Amino acid sequence: MTVLFAIALAGLGTYLTRAVFIIAMARRRFPPLVLRALEHVAPAVLGSLVVSMLMSSASALSFGVAEAAGLLTAVLVAWRTRNHVYTLIAAMGVLWALSAI
Amino acid sequence: MNRRALVAKGIRDVLPMFVPAIPFALVLGVVIDESGLGHLLGWMSSPLMFGGAAQITLLSLLGEGASVAAAVSAALIVGSRHLLYSANLAPYFQQQPAWFRWVGPYMLIDQVFALALLHKDLDARSFRTYYLTAGLLFWFLWLAFTALGVVIGPQVPAQWKLAFAAPVLFVGLVVVGVDRWQKALVALSGAALTFLLASLPSGSGMLIAAIAAIGIGMVADSLFRTKR
Repeated sequence: MTVLFAIALAGLGTYLTRAVFIIAMARRRFPPLVLRALEHVAPAVLGSLVVSMLMSSASALSFGVAEAAGLLTAVLVAWRTRNHVYTLIAAMGVLWALSAI
Repeated sequence: MNRRALVAKGIRDVLPMFVPAIPFALVLGVVIDESGLGHLLGWMSSPLMFGGAAQITLLSLLGEGASVAAAVSAALIVGSRHLLYSANLAPYFQQQPAWFRWVGPYMLIDQVFALALLHKDLDARSFRTYYLTAGLLFWFLWLAFTALGVVIGPQVPAQWKLAFAAPVLFVGLVVVGVDRWQKALVALSGAALTFLLASLPSGSGMLIAAIAAIGIGMVADSLFRTKR
């Protein structure tokens, strides 16, 4: 029940962020300070989430050499190719190869 | 362009754009399975939220035992870029009927925003046809592939460490989004601070770390404004 409530709440919030200007405030503009803050939201939260996911005891991920090499591979491949499919395949490949040794 | 041609164009535009979203859909399925929150319940986030990164954020944090407040806040911060989409498209929605101004935002995901911006000069009716075609197709594909992920997830042997795919995809999102060094600094600060604050209760450390990292980025921006 709590989980459904959380999902519904997040769903409502997501809808509102997409709808607010279209429905209600077409003539409003963002203050420059908010615009500058919004630019940094994605890297800040995604960077935090990566660590949060890796440290989670629930997902039973141990962080070793293979995982570190996998993440480094992800950075390099994403940077060079800007393609999420290649990034995923390369990083998982490195993880599996090093875990197998 | 007549209605048929617009629908056909919408479908042709969406299909290649959905390919990069497939790993996110499948990984979301794995995250739902690993979170232990229940398959159907977790999948309900697809119709209710319809936002890949925000769904992965919410469900993995809830699975880790974060409080509802912290998990929902984190998911909404991840989704806050939609404010920009809404503000950017608002002028082109003003000639639209009220029902479309209410329904349209529900499907305003990253890809639909990009396509809508490319087609903003269509007349109101054509824009609506194109937008709804693209939005509904993405919606249907997302629901189908996240369901597939939920079904496939548990079948994958644990040695494959599929849970690792979620942080990998998020690393990819960060790297692709970095267009100046300040953003790389922000991502690294967020990561380092989350590590340091990990002992704070129910996911609040991650939120504090993210907000502090945003502040660091804004300070770095104002100190080195000429570099932008």
